[in-house]
Amino acid sequence: MATATAAGVDIAAREPVALAKPEGQWTIVLRRFRRHRLAVFSLALIAVIFLASLIAPLIAPFSRDGVNPALRFSPPLTPSVEAGKIHILGTDHVGRDTFTRLLYAARITLSVAVTVATLSTLIGMTVGALAGYYRGMIDEALMRILEFMSSIPTFPILLILASVLNQDPRLLPFPDFLVNIISGIMLIDAQKESRSVLVVILVITIFGWTGAARLMRGMVLSVRERDFIESARALGANNLWIIGRHVVPNAFPPLIVAYTLSLAEGLTTEVALSFLGLGITDPTPTWGNMLNFSTQFMLTHPWAPLIPGIPVVLSSLAFNFIGDGLRDALDPRLKM
Amino acid sequence: MVNYLIRRLFVILAMALIVSFVSFVLLSIAPGGPLQEIFAMQSLSTRLDPDLIERTMKRYDLDLYLIPRYLRWLTGHPRGPLEINGQSYFGDLQVGCLKEGRARLVYPDGRVVEIDCEKPVFLRDLVGRPVSNGILALDFGKSTQILREQPVMRLFESRIGNTLLLMGLSTFLSIAIAIPLGILSAVKQYSRFDYIFTTLAFIGSGMPTLFMGILGILIFAILFKELGLPYLPAGTAISARDTVVPLFGTIKAGSFVDRLWHLVLPVAVLTIFNLASWSRFIRSSMLEVLRQDYVRTARAKGLVERLVIVKHAMRNALIPFVTLLAGVLPGLFGGAIITESVFNYPGMGRLFIAALTAGDYNVAIAFILISTFLVLIGYLMSDVLYTVVDPRIRLS
Repeated sequence: MATATAAGVDIAAREPVALAKPEGQWTIVLRRFRRHRLAVFSLALIAVIFLASLIAPLIAPFSRDGVNPALRFSPPLTPSVEAGKIHILGTDHVGRDTFTRLLYAARITLSVAVTVATLSTLIGMTVGALAGYYRGMIDEALMRILEFMSSIPTFPILLILASVLNQDPRLLPFPDFLVNIISGIMLIDAQKESRSVLVVILVITIFGWTGAARLMRGMVLSVRERDFIESARALGANNLWIIGRHVVPNAFPPLIVAYTLSLAEGLTTEVALSFLGLGITDPTPTWGNMLNFSTQFMLTHPWAPLIPGIPVVLSSLAFNFIGDGLRDALDPRLKM
Repeated sequence: MVNYLIRRLFVILAMALIVSFVSFVLLSIAPGGPLQEIFAMQSLSTRLDPDLIERTMKRYDLDLYLIPRYLRWLTGHPRGPLEINGQSYFGDLQVGCLKEGRARLVYPDGRVVEIDCEKPVFLRDLVGRPVSNGILALDFGKSTQILREQPVMRLFESRIGNTLLLMGLSTFLSIAIAIPLGILSAVKQYSRFDYIFTTLAFIGSGMPTLFMGILGILIFAILFKELGLPYLPAGTAISARDTVVPLFGTIKAGSFVDRLWHLVLPVAVLTIFNLASWSRFIRSSMLEVLRQDYVRTARAKGLVERLVIVKHAMRNALIPFVTLLAGVLPGLFGGAIITESVFNYPGMGRLFIAALTAGDYNVAIAFILISTFLVLIGYLMSDVLYTVVDPRIRLS
């Protein structure tokens, strides 16, 4: 149909397509990303989970910590007589509504993942850029730190740090505004619950920034010797301008990919920490501690671990697929 | 080469020292430990018994300052004043404080000094106090909570074999499967096999080990048992009593078959996880090598394709894999912690978690130290191996 009309129309009367503004870089990236079906689907999935967790207080049928002792371990779709509502995904070991807790947990788990990934990427970017650009002492120190951190078993040390910091609030007092921001975003009690969330964010970030720093340093090292940097310098640009305007944008594509992958890593680390009972603890719901409780009663209630487990796997895979799609879309050498 | 090894060993010792100090500081500023229990117990019944608290503090060196405490833990010294030719020195050095407050010290020569401590501990007070032989003599002290008063090493002895078995088996299987898989997938790039392989490997590496373990238990332990199929155990390392498995027969508790039967699921989970990332790595490294000129030369001079792949391409493709193996060692310990916890497997990782939860810090620190040391040795070994597989590289 379309070809028929096109063939029938006088060429001169057509829109002057060739003269239109050429596609921008990001339009091309977007177009290429859209071809990666799994990545697009993953993005949609993450968006849905995010949205659901954003409006959690509106759509949650029960209160987060409301206990119904008569209904423990009830299977999905059990009606609650006194409330006149249905426990869509059943109830947990003390009779709290699983669906409600899953929504609030999504909010906490995902915001921890996003905060951790953003913080560690920003820190890594800054440190890596400075070290790669200025070389010398800073670079030497950074390389030693990276070497040290990559050759020790970080996960056990991370566990120790989390367990120690979680035990005594006096060891590391967090400023009030941070506590309030966290409790506002994650809808948790500022006094009692914010702290362990902050500890988890801090601990994962401490061990999470090295990847981004290494990547950024490598990119900067390869970019800084190029001709356009030299001409920028010849034109009188100072170091800060060169780093911000020329070096960082050039190193950006792999960093975005690394960022999505560190989202997945932040998510699984938080889940693992809370699963082991050393991260965010009950009554604050996270996918990790929900998994912890449901696996304890797994032999008698086998379906229970699947409810928090499936969202964990889906979002972890989704972040990976998005990263994969972005990698393909951002690589100009790859013909699609 | 020898010079290099000696230098590296020094670096390893220095790093282990740093790690030991940092973990020691972390755990000594942490609340809990032996005192926590006394506080918890006594707050229930009567008032706190100051004598008991002081005894416990002395027993675990909790009254000492950080540095002398660390030194005693690390080396087993100081055990009292320095004795040289019957003369003792530094006996008056204050090394700790049993009770906060203020005190006046009157020296024999008439000096009077005010100090910020009601009951100071001096070096001479350490004489006769029980002490470990120090980390350097492989004495990690005593467990305070899990197995009270038992040496940490004894706790480890019963667990380390289980962990090594789990990690060794899964690492061996992963390597044995990853190499042919990765190479086959690279040689047949863009084939259906390659497509299925890359997708599965991608999913496998993105899937958290935690959930893979839970899923394994759900399917092979619970569902299979329900269905009357030959099932696998959900956890632990040996059965308490003989078990009858459908279509398979009786498994004697504690027998070799019983151990293997318990290892299947945890080993499979760890293997799948490693396999996914390692075989992808080998695939890309093989693809890189297949593009090289010397591979084209080998083909051009008429070598059989099999020889080209096995002798010319594969050997070179595996060189970077050697470094990768060292790089994943730290991660192996993390993965083992999670897998052991999911399967209730009595290994070092689960002991570590139990120690952290119970506040048994001597055990936790020993785990960190041992795993750090093993990892560092692993790195060293991979560097040496590198020179073996790649003669272009010389250590200096």
